[in-house]
Amino acid sequence: MEAIRNMEFFNKTLDPVIALSAIAILDIFLFLVVGAWTVGGGETMMTGLFAQAIMGEDAVARIPFWSLVFKPDPGYWKIYISLGMLCGSFVSAVISREFYLRFPRRLSEWLMITVGGLLMGIGIRLAFVCNVSTFFGLTPEMNMGGYLSITGIIAGAWVGSMIYKKILEG
Amino acid sequence: MDSVIAEDLAAFLFAFVAGMLVQRSRFCNTAALRDAILFKTYRNTKALLVAMIILTLGFTTFMTFGAGKPMKFDVGLNQVIGLFLFGIGMVLAGACTVSTWVKSGEGNVGAMWALLFTFVGMFLFSLSWSANFWPPAPTSMTGDPNLPALQFGYSNAATLQEKYGIPAIVFGAIQALVLYAIYRAIRRKEIARENKHGAHAVEQECTSCDAHASLPEAADKAVE
Repeated sequence: MEAIRNMEFFNKTLDPVIALSAIAILDIFLFLVVGAWTVGGGETMMTGLFAQAIMGEDAVARIPFWSLVFKPDPGYWKIYISLGMLCGSFVSAVISREFYLRFPRRLSEWLMITVGGLLMGIGIRLAFVCNVSTFFGLTPEMNMGGYLSITGIIAGAWVGSMIYKKILEG
Repeated sequence: MDSVIAEDLAAFLFAFVAGMLVQRSRFCNTAALRDAILFKTYRNTKALLVAMIILTLGFTTFMTFGAGKPMKFDVGLNQVIGLFLFGIGMVLAGACTVSTWVKSGEGNVGAMWALLFTFVGMFLFSLSWSANFWPPAPTSMTGDPNLPALQFGYSNAATLQEKYGIPAIVFGAIQALVLYAIYRAIRRKEIARENKHGAHAVEQECTSCDAHASLPEAADKAVE
C-alpha cells in the first residue's frame, strides 16, 4: 500500500491535458465496444430505478416517459459509467489522502447547488444529451446534435457565469 | 445476457480509470467553460480541446470504415434549449455530470446534493412529458427533418460520407483543424499574458472546481 501511495501519480496533480488525452484514447476503445462516453443516460436510468424502488413498479410504468422512452433496466451499460467514475475517484482520493467530507458552508451555496442540480436534470432530459456526450461523443462524431448542444451549453454557461458573478459580488 | 455483462464491465472499467484520471488532474468541464468566460484562464479549456481533437480523429477514422457505435437519434431545438438550461445549472452547482460523481467519490457533500437534485430534476421532467408532447420520443424519430416538431433529423460524419462520397476522416480532419486553431488562439493569448505579467500569473490559474469549496478565492478573482 505504501509503495502505491508513494507513486508520483498519487502525490502530484496530473496535467489535465495528459489526463484527458488518456481518457480520449480509452474513449475511442469504448466507442468501438459499446458507444462513446456519456453520463446523462445512466443517470436517467438510475432515476427510473430509484423511482421504482420508492413508488413501486406499476406506478412508474403508468408514467409514459418510463414506458416509452426509458424502461428502467439495471443492465443498461451507462449506469456503470457513473458507478465506475464514483469508485475510481473514491479509490484514487483514498490512496492520495484526499478523501474527506466537505460541506458547502453557506445557505446561498446550498441553494445554488439545488437550483443548479435541478436545471441540469431537466436540461439533460429535454435534450436527450448531457455535457459529456456533447463534448466527448456527439461533436467528435460530427453529429449535428453536438453543434446544437455546444451552442446551447456555451450560451447557458455564459448566463450562468453572469449570475454567479452577481451572487459573488453580492 | 453475457454480452450485457461484458458491456457493463467495459463501461465500468473505462469509467473507473477515467474517474481516477479526473480526480488526479482536477479536470472539470464546468471550469473549462466558466473560467474561460469569467477569469480568462484556460487550464481546463485546453485539455477539453485536446481531447476533442483526438476523439474527432479517432471516431471519424473508424466511422470511415463503418466501425464503432455512434449515437443515433434525431436532433433539434431541444438540444439547444436543454443544454442552455444545463449550462446555467452546471455553473450554479459548480459541477457537471462528471465532476458530480468524481467529487462525490472524494467526499464532497455539495456534489452529492447536486446529484440528488439532478435525479429530482429528471423525475420532474418525466412527470411532465408525454408522447404527444415535446421533445418527440425516440420511437417516433425517422432520421429526416420534422420541422413542425422542431427536429432537424440525423446526420454525422458517416452520413456525410454516404451523401457526398468523401471519406468521414476528411470531415474529421477539417473539424480537428478548427479545434486546433481555437487551441492555438488560446495559447497565443496565454503567451501574451505571460509576457505581460510574468509566468507567475499563469501558474495561479483557478484550478479548483470543487462545488463551491473555492468560493472566497473565486470571489476575489471575480472582483478583480
